[in-house]
Amino acid sequence: MMMKQILLSLFGVLFALQTQAQHKISGTVSDAAGRPLSGAAVSVKESPTFGTVTDAKGHYELSLPDGTYRISVSFVGYDPSEKNVIVDTQSRKLDFLLSERTTMIDQVVVTATRTPKLLKDVPIVTRVISDADIKRVDATHIGDLLQTELPGIEFSYSMNQQVSLNMSGFGGNSVLFLVDGERLAGETLDNIDYSRLSMGNVERIEIVKGAGSSLYGSNAIGGVVNIISRESQEPWSVNLNGRYGAHNEQRYGGSVGFNQGRFNSMTNVQYTSIDAIDLSKGTDNAEVGDYSTIYGASTLNVRERLVFTAADGLRFTARAGYFFRERDASGSIKERYRSFSGGLKGNYAITEADDLELSYAFDQYDKSDYLIPNSRDVRDYSNVQNTLRTIYNHTFADKHILSVGGDYLHDYLMSYQFSDNGSHTQHTADAFAQFDWNPHRRFNLIAGLRFDYFPEARLSHLSPKLGVMYKADDCSLRASYAGGFRAPTLKEMYMDFYMGNIFMIYGNPELKAETSHNFSLSAEYMKGRHNFTVTWFYNLVDNRITTAWNQELAGQVYTNMAPLQVAGAETNATGKYPCGLSWRVSYAYTREMIEKGQPLLSSTRPHTATAHLAYDKAWKNYGLSLALTGRYLSGVTCDVYTALTSYEETVRQTYPGYTIWKLSLVQHLWQGVDLTLAVDNLFNYRPDYYYSNSPTTTGTTCSVGLSLNLEQFFKSK
Amino acid sequence: MNRKQTGMLLSGVTLLLSLAACNGIFEGIYDEPTSETENEYGFIHVDEGSRTGRIYIDATDYTEWHYVDMQGKQVTTTPVDEAAPENWDFAVHRYDTKTNGAAVWESAASDFTSLPSPASVPSEAFVHDEWTTDRITVDMSQMMDGVILYADDYWNPCLSRWLDVDTSTMPPIYTLSAKVYLLRLGDGTYAALRLTNFMNDAAVKGFMTIDYLYPVE
Repeated sequence: MMMKQILLSLFGVLFALQTQAQHKISGTVSDAAGRPLSGAAVSVKESPTFGTVTDAKGHYELSLPDGTYRISVSFVGYDPSEKNVIVDTQSRKLDFLLSERTTMIDQVVVTATRTPKLLKDVPIVTRVISDADIKRVDATHIGDLLQTELPGIEFSYSMNQQVSLNMSGFGGNSVLFLVDGERLAGETLDNIDYSRLSMGNVERIEIVKGAGSSLYGSNAIGGVVNIISRESQEPWSVNLNGRYGAHNEQRYGGSVGFNQGRFNSMTNVQYTSIDAIDLSKGTDNAEVGDYSTIYGASTLNVRERLVFTAADGLRFTARAGYFFRERDASGSIKERYRSFSGGLKGNYAITEADDLELSYAFDQYDKSDYLIPNSRDVRDYSNVQNTLRTIYNHTFADKHILSVGGDYLHDYLMSYQFSDNGSHTQHTADAFAQFDWNPHRRFNLIAGLRFDYFPEARLSHLSPKLGVMYKADDCSLRASYAGGFRAPTLKEMYMDFYMGNIFMIYGNPELKAETSHNFSLSAEYMKGRHNFTVTWFYNLVDNRITTAWNQELAGQVYTNMAPLQVAGAETNATGKYPCGLSWRVSYAYTREMIEKGQPLLSSTRPHTATAHLAYDKAWKNYGLSLALTGRYLSGVTCDVYTALTSYEETVRQTYPGYTIWKLSLVQHLWQGVDLTLAVDNLFNYRPDYYYSNSPTTTGTTCSVGLSLNLEQFFKSK
Repeated sequence: MNRKQTGMLLSGVTLLLSLAACNGIFEGIYDEPTSETENEYGFIHVDEGSRTGRIYIDATDYTEWHYVDMQGKQVTTTPVDEAAPENWDFAVHRYDTKTNGAAVWESAASDFTSLPSPASVPSEAFVHDEWTTDRITVDMSQMMDGVILYADDYWNPCLSRWLDVDTSTMPPIYTLSAKVYLLRLGDGTYAALRLTNFMNDAAVKGFMTIDYLYPVE
């Protein structure tokens, strides 16, 4: 009898619900720039069974009985949003704008392990610069961006205004730059051509400081910077953008993307140009610095990336690229730099636990001089790298990952720095294995070993790595050891160059590889809207390769140098609040120690810091992002040889510190239209003397930029 | 994956691999260094009809003078500290010049056709050589240490303006004047010279290409 009553009551309730009027709530979920977010979860707090997800246009629809509800929307990488709604006699429209999350704890990264892993689960400290950060900085190439975002990074000039990197005490040839995991050919004075790395169509940049040789081999002594390209998310997309700034700086870019069926394509073009900068302008000082004019230059960057999903679990990626840079080195010569690149990659998920990647990459980097007097363009440098790679991953018990792989590189170099503009070739090969062990949700250990073989230099090298992480509720502790190495390059082994008809520089085929031991400890604390990280690191680098004067040969010869120790610490604190305000402060301390009695020639600045304060707000048809970013570099005193042909005496040289601030305002004027206004060097800093590591600013400058996302013009909001 | 897709993919792979020569691609977009400028020096073009021609000198060596005999169409190279040949009109050392008792006037003309008649140029406008002790560089090996060794020699300040080398910045900025210089030679005849290039095709500086008109009537 009791049971019968209960059943009747239940039927009664159900009947009442059925007959109760239901009304529709609908709307779109989009990001701060008004782009629809597909796949966002929409849930009803009071009644979890009524949840849904947004469609490809970011649209959702719910049918709810009369009442008051709290609707919640969440999407990976964005802060969730909630709104109250009263459902009564009519249908309601309820739109959501989600702000990108700055802590990025659910960001997937690949650089530290070569397998996709959540940032919060990676046992090696990885710093990510997001798409939103790149947009805010409005950087043209990677140098602008890294300096703004990270402390401990400085791009300055070496001889002949060639760009030179210092990252936490390591130079350009000790930091490995990758684009989607692939190396770049070519170098000038030990640095790759950073202007090849334009920021158009970059999804994110991952930076892993410390030795990464166990996964990437030679050159990853000081760190790895991996630029990850964006795939097209929309069925079709067209972006056009332009920027105009001081010294007639112009940047025009565009991209065309489509995502149809099994094909996903993204084509990206960027052109930049800037006039020569007269550093003495506005001063009555003829000798303003180490140089008085910064050369004018222009660049063209074209890239295509096509992804073809042949079957479930089988993906092919083809890419091709062309780069051209021209620098007005003098009235008689235009220096030209070109690269041609291409690649094909296949990813095959054999089973749920096994996947295989096979890739081939081609990269050629040429230098030529266009001689204006006789209109001839003669090439005097060409580096061609053909690379084959494979990596296989097997997952045990859904959580432990074994990765094994190998690479082969054919490296060809023709250079004006070789006898009779000759060429040299080397073949290198390696094999590696890594085990990612996750025995407990709070504990992770990663161990790797790589064997590299360089027959030309007659050397082989083993690079180990060990990283552990312990996660408490709000806190993560990481510790790692990694061995790094850098094999002598073809240039360092075979150079035979009469430098400016002044003295000879000789290569040395007997060079040993540079080796390093890197130790790192870090603690990360995350609570609510704040994140705080502190990292300590220590590097011991031996057999550093550099040139030294040889009295016998009356020239410079490549030689292995005495050990160097680089130690330091970095802290990073961020905060982000629902009102739209966010901030970040990062500070790095770097100290280089050389053997007693040896001169410290490096001009690594001991204290550096970056900061930003931003306010982002979006309304239905208008949004704005206001950001103040700054960087501080302390002064540094180092030793400089008094003579090039004798390393007996040094003098002390001090380079002054400086602080530079930038204010930028991005306005989302209408759907798909962004207007950027920026004031650079806000407080009009100008160096008293332009050293090669001084900023090449001539004071406060302004720029204006416009970006149009045409596909959004055709979307209803 | 159907047959068509596989075919497309394989063609793509073949295309890519065939493109990717181990020693690089698109070599043809560059100019080859020409044999004219690599192997031949001296009076490399002589047009008797128009009395014009081209002189090409390898002046890369700091320790040599290259003496040019306009009448005999000869270039003679001797070490800086040795005597000049019997017949010569002007000489080149790197970008420096001297003359055999001649005097030089810098015209505003950039080609021989617009050069004014020598008779219309006042005699006092011509510049004679001067004795120098800090112009003719013979040893640059210690330049980076601030030590440069010079030879004591004559130097013509006017003709040497054909190339301006601004060393206030590193690397120096080289600017060709592109002007025609009129030489009043010791025998009273006139020669017109124009420096058209100071580099070879590989952009090595010190290879001097000089166009001439001789005698100027």
